[in-house]
Amino acid sequence: MDLTLLVDYGPALLRGFGVTILCWAAGCAIGLALGFALMLLGRTGLKPLRWAVRAYIEVIRGTPFLIQLFLLYSGGPVIGLRLEATTAGILGLGVYGSAYFAEIFRAGYQAVPKGQVEAALSLGMPYGGILRRVILPGMLVSTLPAIVNMMAILTKETVVLSIITVPELMYEMQTMAAETFATFETILGMALFYWLLVEAVSRLGRRAEARVTRFLTHSSNARA
Amino acid sequence: MKFSVIIDALPHLLGAAVTTVWISLLGVMLGQVIGVLVCVARQSGSRAADMAGGVYVSFFRGVPLLIQLLLIYYMLPLIGIDVPPLVAAIGALSLASGAYVSEIYRGALNGVPHGQSEAALALGFPAPTIWTRILLPQAFRISVPALVNELILLLKASSLISVVGVAELTRTSQTISASNYRPLEIYLAAGLIYLAINGALAAFGALVERRLQQG
Amino acid sequence: MPAMTETETKPRLDPAVPMVSVRGVGKSFGANVVLRDIDLTVNKSEVVCLIGPSGSGKSTLLRCINFLEVYDRGEIRIEGKLVGYTEAAPRRQLSNRELRDLRRNVGMVFQQFNLWPHMTALENVAEALIQVRGMDKAAAVAHARRMLDRVGLAEKADSYPARLSGGQQQRVAIARVIAMEPHLILFDEPTSALDPELVGEVLQVMRDLAADGMTMVVVTHEMGFAANVADKVAFLDRGRIAAFGPPREVFHESGEPRLKQFLQTYHERNSF
Repeated sequence: MDLTLLVDYGPALLRGFGVTILCWAAGCAIGLALGFALMLLGRTGLKPLRWAVRAYIEVIRGTPFLIQLFLLYSGGPVIGLRLEATTAGILGLGVYGSAYFAEIFRAGYQAVPKGQVEAALSLGMPYGGILRRVILPGMLVSTLPAIVNMMAILTKETVVLSIITVPELMYEMQTMAAETFATFETILGMALFYWLLVEAVSRLGRRAEARVTRFLTHSSNARA
Repeated sequence: MKFSVIIDALPHLLGAAVTTVWISLLGVMLGQVIGVLVCVARQSGSRAADMAGGVYVSFFRGVPLLIQLLLIYYMLPLIGIDVPPLVAAIGALSLASGAYVSEIYRGALNGVPHGQSEAALALGFPAPTIWTRILLPQAFRISVPALVNELILLLKASSLISVVGVAELTRTSQTISASNYRPLEIYLAAGLIYLAINGALAAFGALVERRLQQG
Repeated sequence: MPAMTETETKPRLDPAVPMVSVRGVGKSFGANVVLRDIDLTVNKSEVVCLIGPSGSGKSTLLRCINFLEVYDRGEIRIEGKLVGYTEAAPRRQLSNRELRDLRRNVGMVFQQFNLWPHMTALENVAEALIQVRGMDKAAAVAHARRMLDRVGLAEKADSYPARLSGGQQQRVAIARVIAMEPHLILFDEPTSALDPELVGEVLQVMRDLAADGMTMVVVTHEMGFAANVADKVAFLDRGRIAAFGPPREVFHESGEPRLKQFLQTYHERNSF
């Protein structure tokens, strides 16, 4: 691969990478927050609300991300929702991720041993306190591998944003490939780059996991 | 919102949906073959085979499918193979699926108690027989839910092959909405079709799973 | 047997009102009746043991006392206050907030300890002091240390539960409860999840509590503890209290055939 190409296109690629990171980080943040809210809403006593949450999750998980993006970006303006490509991309990632995160949180909530909550209840702790100090930390431990995995998946999904012309790394790369005709080399380079990126996200996640679960080492003598 | 738009486009969309389904099925079937071969190779005891399999799995699970697709699409002509986009697309889906399937099988094999192969070895079974008669049938049974899930994932992922011009459901929706300027209705319809297919697959998966648990 | 020590009896308690009064309590899970028409009185500084075969309803009864389990019929009162429901005629279940006021005076020790695994022993004890009693962190930690010392675990303050033996975990759980200075402690099979060699240390802590005048209701399979420490023993069978009285009466003088059978199998299992 011609190195002068990298000099010429370096700034654009770097800018694209910046947009990729921005979309990923913002998308993850929205997805996590929305997913957590959905999980809580799904636990309320109101049946219609629970059904609505369920339907949302099933629809998002049952349709391709690309279709969701097209609906938001091309279909949105029809009902007056006119978004810039990057905004639509971030929002799309967030909505897409939220359904999966909500399911992860739901499983995590159920995995917190009932006795730990009962112990807190029997001490007279308020629900907010129990949620914050007992349930959330327990959930964090059991859901972190799945959360990290989902964040790695979202890293990969950012390239799909290029299709709706979000100027992220993949988009810049395709521009470069089209202008220089060094298509295959560029794509190969990109493949290796994303391979490393996803690997890095997973590694970081595993390290975070090890930190969070430090206290779980050593078995107890309890028979149960 | 005009429903007539959807009605008009429906025959085209459904035809494209059939394409989506058979491409995904083919992808998952080829992926199944690749996945089993990779899994067996990795467990064969050869370090080189394990390493090669490991790199394959890591690459195809780590690189975004869109990039894999473009890579294969542009690589084949370079090495003198001129194939229609459809073949490149199916190739990419199969290779990606194979990486996931081999991991599914690896997990399922871990679920088969080690003592069973030992018992077979003690009875004098040759290694290939242990695989075909003891390990793989059980691994398949354990992995059915994961495999159905894999088919659903692949069906959704297949929307990406629209970028190389394969006229499956997503591509067809794009074409139609570009000509009738009704993206909202068309993409909604496409989304519902995907949802219906996936719902049917999930129900089918649950049925098969119940059957296998009974048998 | 428990000596009344004036230090632990709280002046605001009226000695005439029983600590726990259970009247005509019943509970069903669907068609399955687990408690029927239970009457039970626990006076201040008394230790009452609930014994009986598994499935007899003793744990359910215990969990009804602090309303972790909802009872359908009858009433349970703690220090005269109705548990879980409003006093007014069409009774309504209390809100979680109202239940908190009740529960802060009633401690509970669980079979599975239920320590919070992400907090150290000290943090486990201090948490409710901060959240429920509103103590500042320094005071809570100092108080928690004293409580760990009381159960003989001062040196394990900074250990996470996973690093403690079952017996140590249960003692931390007891420290977590007594730190709140409850008027009553409920024990739900506190030694059933422990290896046999670890049972003694937990029972010793419970004996010390009884000697200090703590009111305790204990679901247990430790007949030795029931015989030696309890003031009263209640034998539950198929959701009823089939025998009730001082341990000597229940263990030696009762003519109840189900009780005899229960004690018989119990002796056989424990003799070798």
